Amino acid sequence: MMAMMEPAPAVTVENLTKVFPLPLRREKVVAVRDLSLTVAAGEVYGLIGPNGSGKSTTMKVILGLIKPTRGRTAIFGKDSREVDSRQDVGFLPENPYFYKYLSGEETLAFYGRLCGLSGKALRDRIQELLELVDLTHARDRRLGGYSKGMLQRIGLAQALVQSPRLVVLDEPTAGVDPAGSRKIRDLIFELKERGISVILSSHLLEQVQEVCDRVGIIFKGDLVREGRLEDLIAIEDQTEIILEGASPELIEKIRALAAEEAGKSGTKLVSLGRPRTTLERLFLQETKGETKDEPEKR
Amino acid sequence: MTEAQASPSRTHAIFSPTRIWALARVTFTQLVRMKVFYFMLIFCAVVIGATFIFLEYSFEEELKLIKDVSLGAMQLFATIFAIVGTALLLPRDLEDRTLYTILCKPVPRLEYLLGKLLGVLLLIAISLVLMDVLFTAVLFAKQSAIAARTEEALALKGASELEIARTLEIIAKQGVTWNLLNGVAAIFMKSCVAAAVALMVSTFASSTLFTIIVSFVVYFVGHIQALARDFWLGGMITDTVERLIAVVVSLLFPDFQLFNIVDGVVAGEPVPLLTMAKLAGLTLVYLAVYNFAAFFVFADKEL
Repeated sequence: MMAMMEPAPAVTVENLTKVFPLPLRREKVVAVRDLSLTVAAGEVYGLIGPNGSGKSTTMKVILGLIKPTRGRTAIFGKDSREVDSRQDVGFLPENPYFYKYLSGEETLAFYGRLCGLSGKALRDRIQELLELVDLTHARDRRLGGYSKGMLQRIGLAQALVQSPRLVVLDEPTAGVDPAGSRKIRDLIFELKERGISVILSSHLLEQVQEVCDRVGIIFKGDLVREGRLEDLIAIEDQTEIILEGASPELIEKIRALAAEEAGKSGTKLVSLGRPRTTLERLFLQETKGETKDEPEKR
Repeated sequence: MTEAQASPSRTHAIFSPTRIWALARVTFTQLVRMKVFYFMLIFCAVVIGATFIFLEYSFEEELKLIKDVSLGAMQLFATIFAIVGTALLLPRDLEDRTLYTILCKPVPRLEYLLGKLLGVLLLIAISLVLMDVLFTAVLFAKQSAIAARTEEALALKGASELEIARTLEIIAKQGVTWNLLNGVAAIFMKSCVAAAVALMVSTFASSTLFTIIVSFVVYFVGHIQALARDFWLGGMITDTVERLIAVVVSLLFPDFQLFNIVDGVVAGEPVPLLTMAKLAGLTLVYLAVYNFAAFFVFADKEL
């Protein structure tokens, strides 16, 4: 019997180094230094780091937009420099501006045709995507009249037009209000459920924490930490107990028990109180039904 | 089954006319929806209409004037649009990051350049056809009016039928003829080369303004390219620097003067078919050379 072949990882980055020469100067800028990472098929990978740390450069090399100085990158086993590798990838850049004279539907039709779609298959796919990103009502409106959140969503739809197995999102929620941000977060969850691999770069760490399986932290071109999210953020020597409907007497008993144990085994009660909701959740709860897709000036 | 698992490993055509056409269509739509295009059409219509005010000239001069002004306006419009329209495309796509979303699809960079160029050329071709239709209609109306007026005047003077027929023949030669299409075709071919130059410049230019300025410089220098070539090949220059300039101009710049057949067309001189075939061939060679140069720069451009 033939042994089952392991599926190729969605993304492979091996010893990637990217150096940019400065025009009219002798110096060079090392944007990424000897970086290696792997994104498994179906995984949501968060790439985080401060501005200028090398996230976008890494993503551009993965997408074949720039060439590595050293090392290699591959998408599902195909070298990123080959045009063929882009059949399986969709990309949403940070703050994208599409052709503002085209409508939402025309935009998706354009990107669909670039991926070889046509006829009924293309029309069905456009309908499906407009529903997915909740823009059916604005399909005939020109993108010049779209709000920031709507542009991000149409951008996500174009990234998904050829049903790629990998989606790369660079700051997908930059400049988007919390409701729009939540919609995009939900879409990422949906992609995950469909088995689509996602690379997400974002400064919204809470969002990264919510959706990502694994996270890599880039700082000054180096991958300084990488791993499963729960492993990275777990505090090894602490335990959290969350109770619902606990009486004040029970709380007091727990407090007394912890104090009693403190003398014997070194156990220490670090905190006891009500868990807090996030500001984002509070905002969404209070503004539920108030946010609409209104165009904004660009 | 999940969507990702369901996605088959797709094949990719190395060269796809469908993709090029998709890019050309979007470029064309984008340019058409810019108000400047409509403004240019109105501008041309006004220029053609304005030719009616010169009534004091002889009928030959009146018809020549209409042809001169109209073909001149077509030339101006086609050149400006070829250079400015093309210069806007690539830098703007790069600035708006639209280029990222296109090149992240399975689109080779050569196809992107060809699609963009084809979109501009399509727009120039269609607008030249529209202007030519308008121009021909205006010229025909003027020619018919002059013919009727002249025939009536000659009949009143008691001119012979032969004399009237000869005069009408002269009017017809200065009016609508198939030869005028050669002039329009030459304008289109010249615009194609100007657009290809602008596209090539935009692949290494840092801004739209730089692209426009450099392209117009190439356009104007291109009109004296033949002169530089003659100096170089004829051994008329002895100074090294001057010789170097002549060599650079001769080898890098297109010969735009070859396309200037409009003056002859306006004068009513027929353009031989062989001349048109040679111009078409030359246009294809220039398009191939400048597109190859554009691809050579753009293929390795760091985006």
